[in-house]
Amino acid sequence: MLKILDHLEEWLITFLMGAATLIIFASVLHRYGSGLSIPGLQDWLLSINFGWAQELTIIMFVWMAKFGAAYGVRTGIHVGVDVLINRLSDKNRAKFIVIGLAAGALFTGIVGTLGLRFVLENGAHYQILTWLGRDVGDLYEGPTTPDLEWPTWIVYSAIPLGSYLMCFRFLQVMVGFLRTGELPHHDHGHVEGIEEEMVPVDANPYDMGDNLHPHDLVHKQMGGNGDKGRKNGKGDGK
Amino acid sequence: MSAAIIFVILLVLMLTGMPISISLGLTVLTFLFTMTQVPIESVALKLFTGIEKFEIMAIPFFILAGNFLTHGGVARRMINFATAMVGHWYGGLGLGGVLACALFAAVSGSSPATVVAIGAILMPAMTRQGFPAKFGAGVITTSGALGILIPPSIVMVMYSVSTNTSVGALFMAGVLPGLLLAAFLGFTTWYRARKFDYPRQPKASWGQRVKAFRESAWGLFLIVVVMGGIYTGIFTPTEAAAMSAVYAFFVAVFVYKDLRMSDVPKVLLNSANMSAMLLYIITNAVLFSFLLTHENIPQAMADFMIGSGVGMVGFLIMANILMLVAGNFMEPSSIVLILAPILFPIAIKLGIDPVHFGIIMVVNMEVGMCHPPVGLNLYVASGITKMGITELTVAVWPWLVSMLVFLILVTYVPGISLVLPKALGMM
Repeated sequence: MLKILDHLEEWLITFLMGAATLIIFASVLHRYGSGLSIPGLQDWLLSINFGWAQELTIIMFVWMAKFGAAYGVRTGIHVGVDVLINRLSDKNRAKFIVIGLAAGALFTGIVGTLGLRFVLENGAHYQILTWLGRDVGDLYEGPTTPDLEWPTWIVYSAIPLGSYLMCFRFLQVMVGFLRTGELPHHDHGHVEGIEEEMVPVDANPYDMGDNLHPHDLVHKQMGGNGDKGRKNGKGDGK
Repeated sequence: MSAAIIFVILLVLMLTGMPISISLGLTVLTFLFTMTQVPIESVALKLFTGIEKFEIMAIPFFILAGNFLTHGGVARRMINFATAMVGHWYGGLGLGGVLACALFAAVSGSSPATVVAIGAILMPAMTRQGFPAKFGAGVITTSGALGILIPPSIVMVMYSVSTNTSVGALFMAGVLPGLLLAAFLGFTTWYRARKFDYPRQPKASWGQRVKAFRESAWGLFLIVVVMGGIYTGIFTPTEAAAMSAVYAFFVAVFVYKDLRMSDVPKVLLNSANMSAMLLYIITNAVLFSFLLTHENIPQAMADFMIGSGVGMVGFLIMANILMLVAGNFMEPSSIVLILAPILFPIAIKLGIDPVHFGIIMVVNMEVGMCHPPVGLNLYVASGITKMGITELTVAVWPWLVSMLVFLILVTYVPGISLVLPKALGMM
């Protein structure tokens, strides 16, 4: 069940990223293509309206941002100011890490609820009652977007859905941390393993055990005496 | 008073180590909930509308383009070309590295990505040739910082989003300082290599140079697409970013064939992950700057600064110090998003050009990326070379000093930043 959710999340943001790029690419080609006076082609191009491309791209990227932020909790990419807590003893640092994760869950939970209320008041409630064939009373039908004329409540539902998912991810990471003392991150080995001069495709500059992320309880600093530690750690490339 | 409360809440929350985006958001919620009558529902809406700007979408596109270029063999061919051009001088591969970083910076918008792309190939090669590991790490860590100064630049897009400055003008303004900084770093490399007599490359013949150029031309053409496209008005910056992403995909997969089609979803996911993290900071920073404006804080601070009689020179010194200190705690995007809304109104009142101030901020961020405790470039270099952070810090200092000299130059000589956009009639 959780696996399905994980894959769905990854699949969704991958798709949104690729599709948004292609849409803008196509709309730029269309804009200049329809300026070329090739008979037939020009008429055909002029008959397509690409006015919605910009709006759709923005919507796709906002959705990608909301669900990607949730995915980011799972991959541990969100940056923070961790200079101070990384100097604390393991025991104290663990407390701060839990506080941080709880704060994340709290914030995303509140925002999700606010967003849900907003979406309900702006058309979702009306729509659901209509589908159920109930009396809508004086509920508001809700506005639509300017170009695509989609109901805005569908577009804005990224906020409650994404935020609740993110809240769930924070809690999930917190439970994992309390159980194992580990935070999600890629192994340093991903980049350390560069021997054949090819960067692995999922190497990530924001993933380097820097002081922008909290060190978890199994963290080994690179270089120096960290070298000794790394051999028992998982990060060794050889 | 409310300013003090807001900043204390923010500082306390940030120092607990929670994500910056969350601490910004929680600060806003706490303040609005306890101190004001602002309907809190408006907050949720702001989380959507905060990034509903087409300009912001340049960020994910540039990240995607950068990732395709990093893994698509473009960097390797640029290094070959750069080494063929300057490798026979003192500094050899190191000097080639500075030039390669400058070239790669002209197609990529991120500094750590530049370090990954160039450093992963060049640093091992330099060690094999007999350079001390320290030297290679120092060159690439600092030259990689060019990534955010030479356009395109993600940090510049962030600055333009939070201050409504033209992205196009900022990009053009970054060109000359970028080349100048490359010259500074190149000179430091040359000087130290001559002093310690490090290995040089055999001089490449013109035939070899032309061949290296032709091989790297596919990547270099991207500079023309992005800068030419924006300057001539064929593309908006966001469209240029999308075009460069598609172009980079095409080159990596079909021309150089260094990236398999099956790797593409991974690259997309990885780019989406990083973009979403940055976009999430932006949304919350927009909320935060909404709160600041609502409480009239930037205005009050600007009036206070003017009233206190601190002139332009004094303010720039203070701003530089503040940003350098911030560079010890946060990464560039967050610093720009938090500090720009506060410093920008003061700068404008003191008659500092918005574009010039943007370049000053970017150069400050570059310095912050190259020293501990949070310098991203440093950690990337450490990941590649397996050197410890302390060791790397020592390795980096000669270049860091020349960078600081350059920072002073750029801060007090606005002409360096402004001459090109003015000549092109962009401002």
